Amino acid sequence: MFTSAEVVKPPRRLPGDLAMWFFILAELSVFALLILAFVFAQARYPQLFSEGRQLLDRSTGLAMTLSLLTAGLFAALALEQVRQDRPRRGAMLLCIALLLACGYVALKLSEYAHLLGVGLGMEHDTFFTLYWILTAFHFLHVLLGMLILGWLTEGCRRRRYDSQRCSGLESGVLYWHMVDLVWVLLFPVVYILD
Amino acid sequence: MSTSRILIACWMSLAALSTGTVALGQAGAAGLVTLAILAVAVAKAWLIADGFMELRHAPRLWRRLVLSWAVVLATVIGISLTI
Repeated sequence: MFTSAEVVKPPRRLPGDLAMWFFILAELSVFALLILAFVFAQARYPQLFSEGRQLLDRSTGLAMTLSLLTAGLFAALALEQVRQDRPRRGAMLLCIALLLACGYVALKLSEYAHLLGVGLGMEHDTFFTLYWILTAFHFLHVLLGMLILGWLTEGCRRRRYDSQRCSGLESGVLYWHMVDLVWVLLFPVVYILD
Repeated sequence: MSTSRILIACWMSLAALSTGTVALGQAGAAGLVTLAILAVAVAKAWLIADGFMELRHAPRLWRRLVLSWAVVLATVIGISLTI
C-alpha cells in the first residue's frame, strides 16, 4: 500500500545505439575543426570575409535553418508516435520531415546555383573556398540524413518499429538532430558573424 | 506536460531564437553583439540536445559531452572574433 506520493524517477537512459553516439561525437569533432578553420581564417582576413558575407542572403539562411529545425521536430514527433505503438502515424510524420528537408535542399541548391552563376565558385577567394567546403560537407550530411529518414519511413510503414523495438529508429532520428545541431553553429558563423 | 508538447515548445523557442539571431546580425556585429549571437547559438544547441536528442534523460557524461561541444566551440569562436 502506498502511504506517500513518492515520485520514482526513471533510470537515466541513452536513446539509440551506443555506436551512433560515438559516430555523432566523431562527426561533431570534424565539423568543429572545419568551423574553427573558417573562424581562424576570418580573424586573419576580416575585410575579405565581411565582403564575401555581404554576397550571401541571410533570409535564405534563416529559411534553411527553419526548414531543418522543423524537419527535426517532425522526426522527434514521429519517434514519439512509434513509442506509443502508432507506426503508421510515425511514417506520416517522417514523410513531412522529409518534405521539409527537401525545402532545405531546394533553397541550398538555388543559393549554390546563384553563386556559381555570378562566378563565386570555390576558387574565387578564401571566404568562398571555406564557404563551399563547410556548407557542401554539411549538405552531404543532410542528404545522408534524408536517406536515413526515407529508410525509417519505410520501416514504420512496414511496422518494423514499435514501442518495444525502436532503437534503430532512435539512432536514425538522432543522426538528423546531429545535422541540426551542427547547423545552429554553422549558420551564424557563415552568414551572420562579421 | 506531454512529450509532444515539450517538443513543440522546443521548436517554437528554436524558431524564435533563429529569427533573433538574424535580427541581432542586422544590429551590427561588434563585440557584445557577436557574443550575444554566440550565446543564442549555444541556447539553440542546448534545446536540440536536451529536447530533441533527449539528453536530459541520458547519463550525465553524454549530456555534458554534447553540451560542452557547443560551449567550447562558441567560446573559441568568440575569443577569435573579438580579440
